[in-house]
Amino acid sequence: MIEIKVLGSGCANCKKLEQIARKVVATMNVDAQVEKVTDFNQIAEMGVMSTPGLVINDEVVSSGRIPSEEEITEWVTSANES
Amino acid sequence: MSNIISTITELLSSGFGNLAAYLAAHVLLCLLPAFYIAGAMTALIPKEIVTRYLGRNTPKFISYPAAAAAGFLLAVCSCTVIPLFAGIHKKGAGLGPAITFLFVAPAVNILALTYTGTVIGLDLALARLILSIAFGIGVGIIMALIFSKEDAEHDKKTDAMFKGQARMRPAAIGFLLLLVALLIVGTFQIAPLKQVYLQFDLPIQGADRLQEFLYALVPFDASRGEEGVTVQGAVLIAMLGLIGLASWKGLENIHDGFNAWTWIATGLVGLTLIFASLGLSPQAGYVQVLLTGKFFGVLFSTLALVWMLRFKLTQDEIRDFLWETWKFVKQIFPLLIAGVFAVGIIRGLIRPEWVQALAGSNTILGNFIGVVFGVFMYFPTLVEVPIAQMFLDLGMHRGPLLAYLISDPELSLQSILITASIIGKLKAWVYVGWVALFSTLAGLLYGAWVDGTSIWLVAGYLAAFMAFLFVIFALIEGKKKTASRAG
Repeated sequence: MIEIKVLGSGCANCKKLEQIARKVVATMNVDAQVEKVTDFNQIAEMGVMSTPGLVINDEVVSSGRIPSEEEITEWVTSANES
Repeated sequence: MSNIISTITELLSSGFGNLAAYLAAHVLLCLLPAFYIAGAMTALIPKEIVTRYLGRNTPKFISYPAAAAAGFLLAVCSCTVIPLFAGIHKKGAGLGPAITFLFVAPAVNILALTYTGTVIGLDLALARLILSIAFGIGVGIIMALIFSKEDAEHDKKTDAMFKGQARMRPAAIGFLLLLVALLIVGTFQIAPLKQVYLQFDLPIQGADRLQEFLYALVPFDASRGEEGVTVQGAVLIAMLGLIGLASWKGLENIHDGFNAWTWIATGLVGLTLIFASLGLSPQAGYVQVLLTGKFFGVLFSTLALVWMLRFKLTQDEIRDFLWETWKFVKQIFPLLIAGVFAVGIIRGLIRPEWVQALAGSNTILGNFIGVVFGVFMYFPTLVEVPIAQMFLDLGMHRGPLLAYLISDPELSLQSILITASIIGKLKAWVYVGWVALFSTLAGLLYGAWVDGTSIWLVAGYLAAFMAFLFVIFALIEGKKKTASRAG
């Protein structure tokens, strides 16, 4: 199973990213779980200094911006294959 | 009964009047470009440009100014402030620079500065900028000294996250500079921009009658610093509404791709800016059009921006830029409108004598009252500015006004709680105490300058105060070291 974490508080970009991530997971139909991390100490621990951050299977794939659906699809695909 | 109704009607019309005057007069040429600059700063400046100076091994004399610069350049949005603060504190330069960043960020963001400059005055905006940076570094150093022991113990792991080496593309820098140029020609009241270079008459009937109708509809009292709504202002308010509508359709779902509305919204903004920079005066039977330096400045910078947007920026940059801008507008603008409306109503209820008695002169008490008001009242971003203007009109001295303007965005219950969750309750409340002290002091110093004290004397006071603090802390540090050696 793929673990996807969206890092960020309730800010607009973070909600947007969560929404896009859930959409990608739903359309790809993969076994994945989307989780929201809001605790800033945890976020800092992962080395992310600007939200929203996206973590797939414990690897930070993007931070400080909203990646496009295609990008997320690509990351999830490669995580699914490995 | 009829008395109460007439009072309520009067208050409501005062609220609407204030709102209409604000939208027509202040918003366009300063706030629209400022929102775009804020969006461009968030989307186009990679944070590594500054954060690489915030690592653990950077010398203090670089990391503190870098933290202040980060506050100005990167922290337009709370999305960046809190995570960056947590990051600097836990993994990077430590508590001191993190506090400097936290102090500077809300006080000097580009939107607040521009707005303060246009509504209240450039001197106050500059005082807000300079004193916030000076005191931000001061508070950071003090906090680092008070808590030096705990600070040494924090996370000793790698500072790899501060090693990034991103650069800004020249096109992105150019775009940002053009936006700043647009803001400057749009808001600065200097002679070459006010000079009329061309004028002509348009045969439009009835504009003068519409003008009289608008003045009657939105009554205003020029002696109290109020402004009425002009015909041009009314057209601009309508255009703002259209922009809002087009943006909702074109920018809300920009992550699904651009659509026609995206370009309509962007084009409308350009047209609105150019129209706002025209000088129009309605006369009987015709409208006189004045083309000033401001008009040509706005026209050329808008055209240059459109050209860059079309040919120089990448798709991703444009999308991020438009999205961030729209996000700020959506987040801040509705609250600002509600706030301005409320200020218009409240202004009718507060008696000038109260304000004058409490903070009419530059005293320690007056400044402290400004700070206390700022801490306990929480206003959304930018709303503190119309509130400050209301106090100014009601007779508040500019010193206490600055004290209020620095402490209000700095401290609110919400931000104190978030800060406490990252650095702990004790540190957070010590920080609050220092911010209150420094805001009071900032007001006093600026107030002294307004009252005629020479700028060098004010700078001297500032330097003497800082030196005094450092001597005290150096003494405490020395004692601690002797004690630990003895024990």
